Formats: sequence, structure tokens, C-alpha cells
Amino acid sequence: MFFIKKIFLFFKRELKLFFRNIVSIFSNILFFFLSIFIFVFALGADEQNLKSIGLGIIWSLLVLSSTLSLRKFYEEDFNNGVLVIIHMRGISYELIVFLKILSHFLFVQVPFLISIPVASLLFNLPIYEVYNLIFTFIIGSLILSCLSSMSASMNLLNKANFSIGGIIVLLFSVPVIIFSVGINEVDSDFKSLINILIGMALIFLGISPWASAAFIKLALRNK
Amino acid sequence: MFGFLINPSKFNKFADIILKPLILLCSVILIAGLILVYLSPLDYQQGLTVKIMYIHVPSAWLALLTYSIMTIYSVIGIAFKMPFSFIVNKAVAPIGAVFTLICLISGSLWGKPIWGTWWVWDARLTSVAILLLIYLIIIFLDKTFENKEVREKTTAIFILIGSVNLPIIKFSVDWWNTLHQPASVSKLSSPSIDISMLQPLLVMTIAFSLIGLIIAILRIKAEILIRKNR
Repeated sequence: MFFIKKIFLFFKRELKLFFRNIVSIFSNILFFFLSIFIFVFALGADEQNLKSIGLGIIWSLLVLSSTLSLRKFYEEDFNNGVLVIIHMRGISYELIVFLKILSHFLFVQVPFLISIPVASLLFNLPIYEVYNLIFTFIIGSLILSCLSSMSASMNLLNKANFSIGGIIVLLFSVPVIIFSVGINEVDSDFKSLINILIGMALIFLGISPWASAAFIKLALRNK
Repeated sequence: MFGFLINPSKFNKFADIILKPLILLCSVILIAGLILVYLSPLDYQQGLTVKIMYIHVPSAWLALLTYSIMTIYSVIGIAFKMPFSFIVNKAVAPIGAVFTLICLISGSLWGKPIWGTWWVWDARLTSVAILLLIYLIIIFLDKTFENKEVREKTTAIFILIGSVNLPIIKFSVDWWNTLHQPASVSKLSSPSIDISMLQPLLVMTIAFSLIGLIIAILRIKAEILIRKNR
């Protein structure tokens, strides 16, 4: 009971931080829409052309805009010592990372779900592609949260060159994009590709708490 | 017996003995390989361009071999906390990057006359390009962190994660329909390459790996010296 209360308090704090930083999340969404506009200006407004490539553009911009929020993942909590204080309350670093991933998924990636139908309206995507996009984004964004957790904890002590964190997320998001865009091809098997995506999400959800906690401990030792 | 593979001072002693004979052997084999390449027959379809193979294939193999060596040393370094393995990782990464770059450039020069384009988004080509990106990220990661322990361990863990790419490169020609031809030398039953082309290819592979080995030994010795003087 006591333990559940701790976890509840953790999420309450994350919710407070979310409402305090709500402008930054909306600016991520704004970045997403502006880059869609830039793509359309660069490619020309040919309707058929945009319809055929719209899904790929939306997915790649979603990945790009999720790298924007990388810096916020652990850095503030690491610098002002909140991570250590939560750990002293009796929650292991692995569990902290897991809860952080869940809260990042809820408070950063889920708001993007609102923007996806609007973005697909702009590209005139057919309705089954929008369903597939939303469905794959729910699974894919969980993988992206795990990847951003690993990359953000890797770069905790990195003062000079932070863009390498974004590069690492982009590099490992390649298979996610391959499988989630591949669902809409004509001859692809929906069920098997969804199963592959869910399997990847479960693998990353299993690996990333250990990897991130190892990086955080390494960073705390050498702070 | 194999202590020189994990112990810096034993490695230094061993390298001092082996380096000069190795350079002699390498130059002899390289000259012999170039002569064999010059004498090797032309392909009945591709003509003279088939001789790009004698650079392209060895550098591709060595790019993969270098990454596998780095993976093994990262496992050793993380599991047994041996500082020598981090030295090897740092010294060997640029060599692998250069081999990958040679492979990509020679392949692109080969592709223009045969396939008609410099670059296609084919599974084998894309995965090798991603290997080059991974090598570059490893080199950059080594330069970003100030703290030594963080730098070494982060690089080693990143090498381990990136090794997922190796089986993808190896089996990409079997799993997907690609423009790139499937494996023709390493087939266990019977290689589908003619013996007159296989001989210079193998000699060139040995020469390339000796070049890589010599540069690696020099770089590792330099790195050991730098760490001793710090």
C-alpha cells in the first residue's frame, strides 16, 4: 500500500511538471505542423503526390519532433538531485526509469495523438491509413520513449555535443519506421507486422530500464 | 599464451617482435596480390570493371571483421573490467570506418557501369551505410565525454547495441530481394566463383587484413603510450 502511494506521488509530481511545462509540449506540436507546411511548400501542392508520400512524411516528422524533448528527460532531475532523493525513498533506479518512460509516453507522446488526425487531413490520407497510423503510433511511440530514455541517460554528463543524443534515437528508430510504414503496403500482412512491433516494444521495455539505470549510476558516480 | 591479447605490456613486447616481419610479409603479399590481380582473367560480361571486386570484397569483409572484434572486446571490457579492451576499441574504430568507406566508394564506382546508377536503396547497401554511421557515432562518442570511465563504458555499450546490425548485413541478401548479388565465396558446399578469380581475391584479402593489423598495432601502441604519460 505504501509502495503504491509512492508511485502515485511520483505521477502526481510528473503531472504538475506537465502542466507547468505545457507550453514546451505545444511548441513540439507546433514544430511538427510547421515542418509539415515546409514539406508541402518544398514539394508543391500536387494532391496525388502528397497522398502517396504523406504517411512517410508524418512518421519521419513524428520521430524528429520526439527528439526535441530529449534534453528534458533526466537532466533537470539529475542536476537538482531529485533522482537521488526519489532513490532514497526506496525506489530502485530501474523502477524510476520505468516510471519515467511511462510518464514520458503519457505526457509527451500521447498529446501528439491529437495532432495526427489533423495532419492526415492535410495530406488527404485514406481513412484506413489514418487508423493504421494511430495504431502503430501508440506502439511505436512507446519504443521511441524507451530509446529516448536510453539516449538521454547516456548523455547526462555530455556538456558539449548534445546533438549526438538525437542522432542515436534517429539511428535506432529505423526499424520502427520500416515496420510501421510497411503495414500500409498492399501485399503486407497486418497481423504479423503488428506482432513484430509489439515484440520490439516489449524487448525495449525490458532492456531500457536496466541500460538507463546503469548509465544513471555511472553518471552519478562521476558527477 | 594469449596474454598479449588482454595485457598492455605483454602486447607491447609482442608487437615489438612481430611488427617488422609483419610489414615485410605484408608488402610481399600485397605485391604478389597486385600481380595476380593484373594477370587475372576479365569477366565475359563486365570486362575490366570486375577488377574492382579485388578491393571491394576484402574491404567489406574487413569492415565486418573489425566490428566483430570491437564487439568481443566490449564484452570483455564490460564483463571483466579490462582497460586494454577500451584501448583496442578506441584504436580500431577509425580503421573500420575507413574500410567501410572504401567498400562503399568502390561499390558505387562499380555500380555505375554495371547497374547504371551510383546508389540504390537496396537492403545490403543501406545496412552497410548504417554501419558507417555507427562507426562515425562511435568515434564521436569517444570525443564528447570528459570523464574517462563514462566515455569508455558508454562507447562499449553503444558498440554492443550497434552489433545488431552485423547479422542484418550478412543475411540481407538472403532475406530481401536485392540488386546486390548473394554470397558467392563463403557458401560452404561449393563457391560459385571461379578458381582463377578466387585466388587473387583471397591473396588480396590477406594483404588487406595485414595492412589493417599493422595500422591497428601502431595505433594501439600509441594509445598505450598516451595513457602511460598522462
